[in-house]
Amino acid sequence: MSIEIKLSRFNRTYRPDEPLEGKIITKLNSAISHQFIRLTVNGAVNLQVRGGTAGVIESLYGVIKPIPIVKKVVDIRSSGKIGSGTTEIPFSVVLKDSKEENLEKFYETFHGGNVSIQYLMTVDVVRGYLHKPLSTTMEFIVESEKDNLPQKPISPEMVFFYITQDTQRHTLLTELKSGGFRVTGKVCTQCSLLDPIGGELTVEASAVPIQSIDIHLIRVESILIGEKIATESSLIQTTQIADGDVCRGMTLPIYIILPRLLTCPTIFAGPFSVEFKVSIVITFSSDLSKKHSKADPNATKPWMAMESVPLELVYEFKIFKDAGLSDPSSISHREAPNRSEIFRTCTCVKH
Amino acid sequence: MGVEFRRRDYGAEERACSLPRRRADTHPLSAHSPSALKVKESDCRKDDFVDPLRATDGIMEEAADNMLHEDIDSEATTPSDISAQLRIRKEWSSFKKILMQRFPVSKTTPVSVVSGVLVKGNKGELDDSKIFDEEDVKVVSQQEYLSKLQELKDEINQSWLRDDRVTSLRLSIKVARLLMDASVIQFYPTLFVLATDIMDMLGDRVWARIKQKAEITEEGGFIYALPDNFKAGDVCFDAKETCNNWLSKVGSVRELLPRIYLELAILPCWRFLHNHPENNLQRLVMMVRGIADPVASAYCRLYLVQCAQRLPQYDTGFLITCINDLKVLLMRLTQARDAMDGNLSGNSKLLLTLIEPTIEYIMRCLFKDRKQMEISNILVALGMGRDPSTLFQNCSCISIFLHYILKELPIAFTCFNAMEILHLIECTDDSSFDQCLNFKLLGHRLCERVPEVSSVHLLVDKITQVLSCYDKLDAYLMVADGYLEIILENQLATCVNVILGGIFERLMEEKIGENELMILQSIFLKLLAHFANIEDILALNHFLDILDMLHGSSRNSVNMHLLSMAIREGHIQDPTVIEVLLEVAQVLYDGLDFSNMRKDDYQHPARVISHFVFMVDYGMEVESHLRFLAQCRGAFASISELQEMLVHSSNKLAVRALRDGSNSISFVKSCLAFNEVTVPAIPSVIRQFKLYLETAEVAILGGFISHLDGLINAAINCLQSVDSVDGVQTTEDVEGIISLICKLCGMLVMVPGSLEQGAACIPKRVLSFLDSRSWVFPRLKTKVLCMVVFLSAALSQNQFLYHAISGKVIGNYQLFYGVRSYHQELLSFSGGVLQEIVNIVMQEPSMAVRGKMALEACNCVASSFKMSDEPLEACSKLVEIAKSCSPAGDKFLQSTLKFLNARQFLV
Repeated sequence: MSIEIKLSRFNRTYRPDEPLEGKIITKLNSAISHQFIRLTVNGAVNLQVRGGTAGVIESLYGVIKPIPIVKKVVDIRSSGKIGSGTTEIPFSVVLKDSKEENLEKFYETFHGGNVSIQYLMTVDVVRGYLHKPLSTTMEFIVESEKDNLPQKPISPEMVFFYITQDTQRHTLLTELKSGGFRVTGKVCTQCSLLDPIGGELTVEASAVPIQSIDIHLIRVESILIGEKIATESSLIQTTQIADGDVCRGMTLPIYIILPRLLTCPTIFAGPFSVEFKVSIVITFSSDLSKKHSKADPNATKPWMAMESVPLELVYEFKIFKDAGLSDPSSISHREAPNRSEIFRTCTCVKH
Repeated sequence: MGVEFRRRDYGAEERACSLPRRRADTHPLSAHSPSALKVKESDCRKDDFVDPLRATDGIMEEAADNMLHEDIDSEATTPSDISAQLRIRKEWSSFKKILMQRFPVSKTTPVSVVSGVLVKGNKGELDDSKIFDEEDVKVVSQQEYLSKLQELKDEINQSWLRDDRVTSLRLSIKVARLLMDASVIQFYPTLFVLATDIMDMLGDRVWARIKQKAEITEEGGFIYALPDNFKAGDVCFDAKETCNNWLSKVGSVRELLPRIYLELAILPCWRFLHNHPENNLQRLVMMVRGIADPVASAYCRLYLVQCAQRLPQYDTGFLITCINDLKVLLMRLTQARDAMDGNLSGNSKLLLTLIEPTIEYIMRCLFKDRKQMEISNILVALGMGRDPSTLFQNCSCISIFLHYILKELPIAFTCFNAMEILHLIECTDDSSFDQCLNFKLLGHRLCERVPEVSSVHLLVDKITQVLSCYDKLDAYLMVADGYLEIILENQLATCVNVILGGIFERLMEEKIGENELMILQSIFLKLLAHFANIEDILALNHFLDILDMLHGSSRNSVNMHLLSMAIREGHIQDPTVIEVLLEVAQVLYDGLDFSNMRKDDYQHPARVISHFVFMVDYGMEVESHLRFLAQCRGAFASISELQEMLVHSSNKLAVRALRDGSNSISFVKSCLAFNEVTVPAIPSVIRQFKLYLETAEVAILGGFISHLDGLINAAINCLQSVDSVDGVQTTEDVEGIISLICKLCGMLVMVPGSLEQGAACIPKRVLSFLDSRSWVFPRLKTKVLCMVVFLSAALSQNQFLYHAISGKVIGNYQLFYGVRSYHQELLSFSGGVLQEIVNIVMQEPSMAVRGKMALEACNCVASSFKMSDEPLEACSKLVEIAKSCSPAGDKFLQSTLKFLNARQFLV
């Protein structure tokens, strides 16, 4: 006796304004009668504080009360019977009803460390008091509505950076300090989730040989707890772009494909926010580094130099130009109402 | 008295028998129908057959055209596309094979392995980015390493088949990580080959999976068969998602080098997403810059270039960036060393040899099927402008690159821009590659099409300049060898002399090594091939001096060619040339080891020497010629062929002297004496016999009776020792001996006999030889017996059929005129022979042969003897035999019967 949900899309990804369609499939040994078949859709932001910048007391609370986004209960069938063998029961639910006011914005599905935005659907076949109801739950993924998207592809904004012994706030090895180094380049600060982070980097000079240059992708989750904001940064991906003492003056590309499950559009909501940062980390070869190889990778060390820039991730409805998949007319020509919310102009060009 | 010889009137017989003669307009053997030959030739032309070795430009162009068409077609049609891919794969695998052979796995040098990479069951996470501890490093032998790698490959395969693709990918990443370690650099090529094998395998599997997704739904429904030249638009969403998934999984690999390798492995999969997957190449090339290790990055570029070829199309931009990046890398490498000690240290040398194949491969790809215009642009892009003025300013090439560019440049382009390239080589002199090798290569390339080379004189001047700067012999030789053909083709004789002078100068100072010997040999052979005339060659500056310094097989080879060339020209008459060549031949001869070499090895040189001796001609200076022959006899004692030839030559000389007449007697005598000494040294008795006869003929011609007797005596002695020396005879040999005996009989007509020895002394000795040799067939015996009968009959005539030209030899008919005992002896001897003939004919086993023999004998008897009882009896017996053995209608039988009838021999 089993029951399962099969959604119409194999990637289980839907937009709030699209109907969530699929089938309930039951496999039964013998026919059963039921009172009703109920479909529940539940979406919520779950917040949790684990150490980080939160105080000891806040961390004791652990889970903070989730923020509901959507809760819908639909009866697909009233009382009746389901025959033995395999039965398919189709369903279709509209997530966002324009008539009713939603509790919250439909954030995109996201599983972070402290913040988790999750949408679940549950099917219950209720069979009276004598029988246990048959039920199953499945997560589906919500992505941004088309209405909220920019009409034209965003042009990636670049920020120039340069890293020398003088831009570092932590103590450096003496040989680094005296010998000097200079690494310059540019990196994208606003980027579509579907595009790689672009940019380039050039080692102009370095007296000490370089061991490695890595790009760290860092997620910053903040939660408002009372008056305080608990912020936690986590390293979600490291990508090496230089291995060893590379030639000086050669431009190296920065090309980082965003990990799909670990990223989402940058969110600034009242009670919480999810932001991202890119760090360029240069590791110089030094005897010290070999001795301390097991140390915490996030901590700054005297044989490293780094620079961080904020990165704004945007959901962009990708037009597969080559693919011819998308219907150009489906991209709305209406003015995007929330555009200013999504975009935060980045002006952190450093010199 | 039973038998009597028939009297003959030769004059009357000739008149009766000879046919009327008429003059012919043309010689029957002259080639009188040239038109027929021509027709044949033109027929050949019409044939469809195309000689692949005949480089007619028309055909080449046509072929090139075809290829062009194919290229265009390949855009539209798929099969050629696939075959092109197959060809690329094939080339790649053969390249890998060569690479493995070039850097074989060493049994001794161990490799350190980061444990956990090759150890099974380490179920780390995909983005496992922890740095390995030093304690984890394990040392294994290279063989062990390879077998582990093989295991890993099997595991990747198995987990893929189990649908556990994540494990497959994880293990593949491990394999790619191995390539980060280039510490044991000799091992790196092998590692590269094996690891890229695995990468290719993974790439193929991923491609197949996504393609399947695009063609068949998860439920097994058929969507759409992708054509080979499909566009991204033909691919369904699900397949695209899968493809994206793979790309992002690969993109999440932390380390740079494995990430690049994996992306390259699945590079063709970009086709599912974009119509221009080649746009990724430029980025990938730039990403490789991040790998600092020279060997690792060079091999990574190699794989990149190889993978790029799996795309339907790509432009050269990324290849040029690739090469320019490599150049920066190598410059850094060589500069660092230059600063240290001006020469590359051992390790850098090794690095360079390891990197060399990658440069070679990338260059080959860059210049493959390029047009003239494209090439100019490519060269400019590589920092080698065609304009000499800019060339000097920013000549930023390094020699190892230049070498491989030269190798790949089309010959037509090279020839057209010879001067510019020469300049380029001149100003590119760094430690990555020996400059003189580049000069040499250019020379060799230019020599492939000498007529197309532009501004030859300037070029040659430049090269002479360059040469004068080389103090070392090997460099000098290499460069000189490279350009020699151009110089020769353009008739720059002074230049050749200068070069030879240069070589000589340097030869005086250095010892010649094996390598130099080879080049010198090549130089000499080129000179020999070019000059038609031996005098021209000998006139070259220091030619002989340099030749004298050669040794070993090179010297032999040059000598052989020199002699062969002299022979080709016909008679050699110049005494100085003869002297030089004799010396050359002597050196060649001294180099031959007759006892230890195989016959094939020395036969050819021996023949060439003999032929040379034969071709020497002193003209009227016969005495000098004979001296020369005597010199040769001493010098080339082991070549029996040559000894024989000496006899022929001396006979020829004697005959020439005799013809010229005046005071030749002593000279001819010395010729005869020369032969009398020479012949016994020849090992084969049969040949001795033959040569004695030949010399005897000369003696008759000159009328030297004493020599003649001695020679014939020696010949007969030879005959008697035939069996004892040569052992069992072949049929040809026996036939040869018999015909020589016949010749001897013919000659004996002219030889004056002596009464003391008896008239039939020599025929008797011959017959005794026949009797004692069981291996002479009855057929041949009868032949000799008939001959002896004919001889006796001829000798008993009052006038001979022929006699010696020289009046000094008195014919037997004059000598023994009226001497009864002489004639008596001949008659009795012939009578005995007559009986013998009949007996021997009976011995012949074959019927047909016996019949023929009988008829021949009949003819002999009937023409030699007068009709009387004894011959009649013999004749009738023979006729009986013939009749019983041959069919009645046999023509020979009929004509013989007719002849016997006319002679009244038929009863």
